[in-house]
Order: sequence, then C-alpha cells, then structure tokens
Amino acid sequence: MKKVHTFENVILNLKKFWQDEGCLIFEPYNSEVGAGTFNPATFLRILGPKPWHVCYLEISKRPRDGRYAKNPLRFQQFYQCQVIKKPSPKDIQKTYLQSLEFLGLKLKEHEIRFVEDDWESPTLGAWGLGWEVWLDGLEITQFTYFQQAGGIDLEMIPVEITYGLERITMILQDVPSVFDLMWNNTLTWGDVYRQNEIEYSRYNFESAPPEMLTTLFNSYEKEAVRLFEEGLVYPGYDHAVKCSHLFNLLEARGVISISERAKYIGRVRALANKAAELYLRGESE
Amino acid sequence: MIDFLLEIGFEEFPPHFLKPAADDLTLKIEELLKNKKIFHRSVRTIYTPRRIGAIVLGLSRRQKAQIIEIQGPPKKFAYDAKGKPTDKLLGFMKANNLKSNEVVSKRTQKGDYVCGRKEIAGAATEDILHENVPAIIKSLEFPKTMVWNEDNVRFPRPIRWIVALLDRKPLRFSYGDVQANRYSWPNQHFSFKPIRLDKPREYMNFLRHGGVIVDPHERKKTILTRIKQAAAKAEGKPVYNNEMIEEINCTTEYPEVVTGEFDEKYKSLPEEVLMSVLRAHGNVIWMQGTNKYIYVFSAKKKALQNVQKGYGRVMDSRLQDALFFYQNDMNTGLQKMLEETKGMMWLENLGTLFDKAARLAKFAEEFKPVPEFDIAALKQAARLCKADLLSEMVREKEFTSLQGIMGGYYAQSSGESERVARAIAEHYLPRFIGDELPKSAEGALLSITDKLDNVVGAFLSGNRPSSSYDPLAVRRNGYAVVNLLDARGLNISLFHAIDRMLSLYGKDFDARILTGFFEERVARYLQDKGYRYDEVNAVLAHTAWDADIADTSRRCEALKGFRDSPEFIKLAIGQKRVRNILKGVEKKLAVDNELVTEGAEKALLQKGKQISTKILTLVAQKAYPDVLRLLLEMRPVIDKFFDDVLVMCEDKKLRENRLALVSYIHDLFLQFADFSEIVIEGEKTSR
Repeated sequence: MKKVHTFENVILNLKKFWQDEGCLIFEPYNSEVGAGTFNPATFLRILGPKPWHVCYLEISKRPRDGRYAKNPLRFQQFYQCQVIKKPSPKDIQKTYLQSLEFLGLKLKEHEIRFVEDDWESPTLGAWGLGWEVWLDGLEITQFTYFQQAGGIDLEMIPVEITYGLERITMILQDVPSVFDLMWNNTLTWGDVYRQNEIEYSRYNFESAPPEMLTTLFNSYEKEAVRLFEEGLVYPGYDHAVKCSHLFNLLEARGVISISERAKYIGRVRALANKAAELYLRGESE
Repeated sequence: MIDFLLEIGFEEFPPHFLKPAADDLTLKIEELLKNKKIFHRSVRTIYTPRRIGAIVLGLSRRQKAQIIEIQGPPKKFAYDAKGKPTDKLLGFMKANNLKSNEVVSKRTQKGDYVCGRKEIAGAATEDILHENVPAIIKSLEFPKTMVWNEDNVRFPRPIRWIVALLDRKPLRFSYGDVQANRYSWPNQHFSFKPIRLDKPREYMNFLRHGGVIVDPHERKKTILTRIKQAAAKAEGKPVYNNEMIEEINCTTEYPEVVTGEFDEKYKSLPEEVLMSVLRAHGNVIWMQGTNKYIYVFSAKKKALQNVQKGYGRVMDSRLQDALFFYQNDMNTGLQKMLEETKGMMWLENLGTLFDKAARLAKFAEEFKPVPEFDIAALKQAARLCKADLLSEMVREKEFTSLQGIMGGYYAQSSGESERVARAIAEHYLPRFIGDELPKSAEGALLSITDKLDNVVGAFLSGNRPSSSYDPLAVRRNGYAVVNLLDARGLNISLFHAIDRMLSLYGKDFDARILTGFFEERVARYLQDKGYRYDEVNAVLAHTAWDADIADTSRRCEALKGFRDSPEFIKLAIGQKRVRNILKGVEKKLAVDNELVTEGAEKALLQKGKQISTKILTLVAQKAYPDVLRLLLEMRPVIDKFFDDVLVMCEDKKLRENRLALVSYIHDLFLQFADFSEIVIEGEKTSR
C-alpha cells in the first residue's frame, strides 16, 4: 500500500492547513534553537499590539535528549511545526483538532487529552498557561496561551501551537519507532538521521569541549551586549540565542552545577529581556 | 416550580482547581437564593474537565412576598372620639396607598401609633439571577489565572460558553466575550456540534449522549467499577488511593478503561521507579507485583485499541529510559558519584555537595547519647547521602523526586550495609508537613542533620525566609527538624545543635537569630498538635525547653488537662501578679529568713521549701500532672500572702527580701512553665 502519510506530506499538509487559516508561511531559523519559540518570528513578534499569524517548521535541538539512536521515541533533534495566532481566536482548540483530522487522524478512534502544563522558558523570561496534548498517551503538541515574554506582560494574547511532527507521523503511520518512519515513499527517518543521532549523542555527551563552550558563551554574551548598545536588536538577539544553545550543550555535558545553572539561565534571560525591551521601543517609535 | 441550570464551559481546567471551583459556585448560588428568599428544593454540583455548574430544582418563580410596615401618626390623632378615622389618618392612607384593612395599631415606647402593614410581592427569580449570576462567576477565586483576549477577564483557562437556563428561558447576560444561552458542548471526541437544551431537566441525559457524564459522583462510581472489573479480569491487585481517583475524575468526561502490559524485563527496576513512570502518565494504575496496569481514558470505546497500543509504546520508551539510567548508574557506582560531588557547588560560598556531606558526617558525633543506633552506619550514610544527586536517574527531571531512594539502591549494590542504605533512602523524609517519617533511627538522625544543615546554610547564605519569600523551604526544613526530635523523643538540645552546626561551618553568625527561628517553628508545631498558643507560650517560657522537644510537648499536654479548672485559673491570676511585681527587678537576692516576719510570709516560704525538692524530683521523672497538682497546693498560701503582705513596703530591706521571696516562688513554677502566659477568659491577650 502506498504511504500517503509520509513525513514530508505531513509537513506540507500542516503548512497548507494553517495557510488557509490565514498564517504567513515562514521558514526555520538559521541558528540552533531549543524550540520554535526562540525564532524571532515568535519571540519578538508576540510582543506589542500588532496582530501576527505565522506557521513554520523549526528544527529543535535538545542535546540532553539524545539516546545514541537506541530509544525509539527520544532523540536530540526533532522537527516542530510552530503556529502563532495573535490574537488568539475563540475557536482555536477546535481548529487545532480539525488540523489533526486534516492530517488524516480520526478523532473518534483515538484519545486526545489536554494535560495541564504551565509552560515556562526561564531563559526567555516567558511563560504561559496551557497544555501538553497527548494522543493515545504520546505528547504530540504543546498548546500555550502566552502571558509574558522577555519579562514583559503581553498586550495582545497569542496562542502558540507546537506540533511534534515525528510523533504525529508515527501514529499516522502506526510505526513504534521513529527510525522506521517513512520520510517519503522510499526513505525512512532512520535512513536520513540515524548516523546523525549517534554522532551528535557522542558529541553532546562526550566530545563537546566544555572550556571552548564556556569561552564561546562568554564571547557571544559580550557581543550581544555590545550589539544591544548599538541598538541592533536582531543581531543582538541572534547572539542571545547562540548563548542559549551553548548553555544546553554545557548542561548535556553535565558540567554545570546547581547554583551555576541558575546563573547561566539568568544571563541568557537578561539578554532576551534586553532584546524584548529594545524591540518594543523600536516598534513604538 | 421551575428549574435552573448554570454551566460554565471552558477549555480543559487544571484538575486541582476543578472541584473547589464547582463547590464554591454551588455554595454561592445557594447563598444567593437564601439571601433573596427564593425557595428551592435541591441544588446539585456538576463538574468535568471542561465545565463547572449547578442544577437547581424546584425553584419558586418569585422571591417570597415581603411584609413592609410604614409608621403612621400617633393613635390618639388617628381616630376621633367616636373611633372614626381623622383626616390625618386618611391622608396617611392615601399617601401610602393603604386600604383600611392594612392599617393596624402598634405599641411603641413613645406610645400607641398606627401603621400601615402590607404585603409586597417579591421580585422575579429571573431578574435576580440575571442580575447576580455574572457577579458570582466573577467572585470565584483560583490559585492561578490567565487572560486570553482583550476583555481581560481572568479565569484559569478560557471560558468558551455559558448555559444559563431558567426553565425554558435562557438568561441572556454576557460575560467577557461570551453570551449566556441554551447551548452546551459535547465531548470533543464525540462531536463538534452544540447541544441545544430546551429545559434544565434535559441536561444530564443530553450530555450523556454527547459523551459527558456531568455528575462527578456518578463518574467516580463508574471509574471505580471499571477499574475493579478490569482488575478482576486481569487477576491483579490495583494500587490506588482516593486522591488518584479524584484526579482521574477531574480529567475524564466519559471514563473507559484499558489494560496494558509492559515487558517483563522492567520488573528488575526498583518499585519506586516503576511507580514513578506510571504515575507520570496520569490515570495509570499499576497492579502490584505484576507487569500489568490499568489506564482510564476519556474517549469513545472504539478508541480502545489505539489507546492500548499508544500507551504501551509510550510506557515502553519511558521504562527503557529508566532502565538505561539505572543500569548506567549501577555501573558507575556510588563511589564515583561521590567523587563527582566534589565538583558540585551546594550553596553560594558554602562549598560543594561533598563538603556538605562531610559536615553531616562530623555532626553525627552529637548523637552519641542517643540509645540504640549505629553511629558508624550513620556517619557512612551521611558521607554518601548526596552522591545520588549526580546519578543519571536523579538528574533526569522525571525522576528527581526519587532522590535518596535511588541513593539507597545504589548504596546497597555497592556493598553498603542495609542500615546505611536505609538511612540514605529515608533521609529526605518528611518531604512536606504530614508526610511519613523515616522508620529507622539512622534515617531519622540523618534527616535531622541534613535539614538542620539546610536551615543554617540558608541563613548563612542570605536566604533567610520572609513572609512571602522562602525559596529554599527553610521553614519546612525547620519544622521537620522539630517534628523528628519530638517523634523520636530525642533529648538533643536544639540550641546546642545550632551552635555546633555553626562551628562546623566556621562562620560568624548570631546564633540568636536561629534560635528565634526555631522557637517559632516549635510554637507552630505544638499548635498544630492541638495545644493553644498561650499554653505553648507558657511552656516555652520555661528555661530549657529546647533540650527536649518531646518533653516540651508533654508539658503542653499536662497543662492542657488542667487549664480549665477553676483552681488553676486562680493560680494563673496569682502568677500574673507575681510577674507584674517582678517587672523591673533584675538582681536576684537570696531570701533572708531573719527578715521573714509576718505569718503569711512565713507560710509561703515554708510551703515553698516543703515542695521544692519534690517538684524537682517530679520534673525529673516527667510526672507533670503531679507537678501541677503540687503547684496547685501553693495557691492558698500565695493568695494569702498577697492579701496580707505589702510587698512594695517603705522599708527597703524588707521590700527587697519580699521581692526575693516572690522571685523564689516564681522560679519554682518556672521549673514547669510560666502560668502568667495563660490567657484568662475576659482578659486581653498579652502577646
């Protein structure tokens, strides 16, 4: 039987669905991020009073989640489909469920649970209330009404919907392991990414040099501060995002202690808060 | 008689907010009906993850009629000699639209008056509900709320619909951007179409067809029945408590169950790890000793196969993760983790986790007088107890709550004794007020040490708790220390322990700040045990309360038994006089027998001397009711003394000697407690 729910089709279909819902179709960020929220198309655009509707693919890097390609559901890099609707529409939950049906999921044959999850990103000074969405027990989406970003109360409340694409496709294709996921009609996810997973697991846990990562963190932090002083918000924010990824790598290497951890987070947050503040100032001018 | 249905519909609520919110809503509606004198037969609370509400049956259409009275002229001006109404009365009746049978006479303090008395019809129930229900919704309180649109309405999750149906008529008020109406919404697994309600009595059945059991009691019963059936079929013994069932009840609209199995190989994981994986998945109930579990879900029955498969896969992935961490940790061994704690800062400027553990081990010496424990085991457990914080398992967010427990397993596998392993496993207990306590002596002592160290460390690193800020949970730690000292009956001086801990840190710090902190914790703890605050204050005024918390608690118990007797109250009043007289007296003088001249004075001294040795003996035996009985014997001589003898007399020598005598008697009482702290009914509190 021909697989219609290929990984690439799911991506294309979701974009199509949200395009019809009035979203701008954007593309991934050009630097490592832990979540689509870090993309300026979310973090900066959710600030201020202007409406913003966007949908994009994001490749999220979670160094600590690598399992050397040995766990069927855990890997250090995964694809997210990120949707922002600002302001949040009244029937957004229904629209979200319809998007799953659009992908070919029959809601009557599954259990969808909205599990309380107060989402928070301490590094972005952002938080919101919402849920993890579980499809037959598997978390497939994060659904959040943002309340604050960059330490600033949001003027217009956006809803963020972040789909975990590999997991949704696994259910659509009914395969228990991500490595067996059909990417197109001939290649699997494993064909494309298995070696990448093994090597990155080694890099993240064993090989990444902590001294270099620390040095880079310090340099990028300094550069971000300098750029903010010059009023260059986007380049400055870019460097804040780089710091965030370096912090994730340092954490995966297990070299950050409990009290140091809080300090690193505080340093990245300070940069993110600054970016948010400058962005808003530019918007109001 | 009519019925009323109110349903507030929202996106999935935080489970823990649900029942309190629904109860609050019902209560407020009942209060409204009572205050407005609207008769009703019954009120029923409803809640599901997506709605809270109330069904009121048998309402009257109107408020109860009210009788009003209008004061008229004095009776003597209202009627003429023949008993006919005067113009004055007629004018009053006309002005107030009164008929002659509505005029009555009334006797008041100022004489007889006429007054108009008439019944006015009550307002319509509809108008009252329409006016008050929005305010009731607004008055609901929650631990955490959000905004979702420009209306800035706050609620835990967005409100999406409101049903307010009075018999056949919807009350059309609006709340934020929602207009109340007659349309409810079904379980989203069943349909996206609204359910039209013509009258409240259709509600429960129509919603049932829409995949929603709105009555929480019925839903809970269904859940329990289904679990029991599934367990019987699988021949397993499900492990659950009421709290778990209530949580399931708050996350399901239409409960169905499915039985699942995990691979036998995961049974090698510690039971706590298994439970933790299953519990993290909400609504999962393990069948003890087996590789089977029951999952309660909220969807259509035909989802069963997919749910079973999906949960099986998720569980397998999580258990695989757990097994992966566990095996890695076993290979690493506790010794290596211990080495790694040398690189892990504990608190700012207070050294590493390794340093902390070393300090705990040194402190163990303090417990030498405690009978029946193994000091070598305690020291070894102290050195190792923080090592598991470096294990892969505990470092993983999902399993952080297994700190200590994992340390126990890892200690055992690296050849430590059962006692050592057990102490490590138990040393975080109690984790919250009311939590279980360590069962082993070593576990309890290590817990006390660790928590005392947490408290002292927090104060030293500038994390002293304030009313709203206590990030290191210093209060909870302090409370647990007190709780354990009492429960274990340890006569370890708290003040001495604080000094010792400070000296182990080698930092300069005012110990009085810490003793003050612990005094507050002890007071709170004793009050939680059921002693009144003045009883606690009286006992804490006795000088050595910190030496033995269990003893302090026992004194409160004795005091509690006596405080209401009339004799005791007189004694307490006497002690208040003593305290007042001794106010400002600083130097303590010995009583000079030569200067004790008056009869009542002599009697007091004699009685005091007569019982003093006995009191000391009884205090040593902790026979506190006997001590109290003995002190009560002092009452007549004390009263007589104050009646007959002027303490503050002119003669300086006599005065000082009498003060010395009073002070001597006061000290006798302080062997037990300071009764002047006891608040006597009708007297203002002194503290």
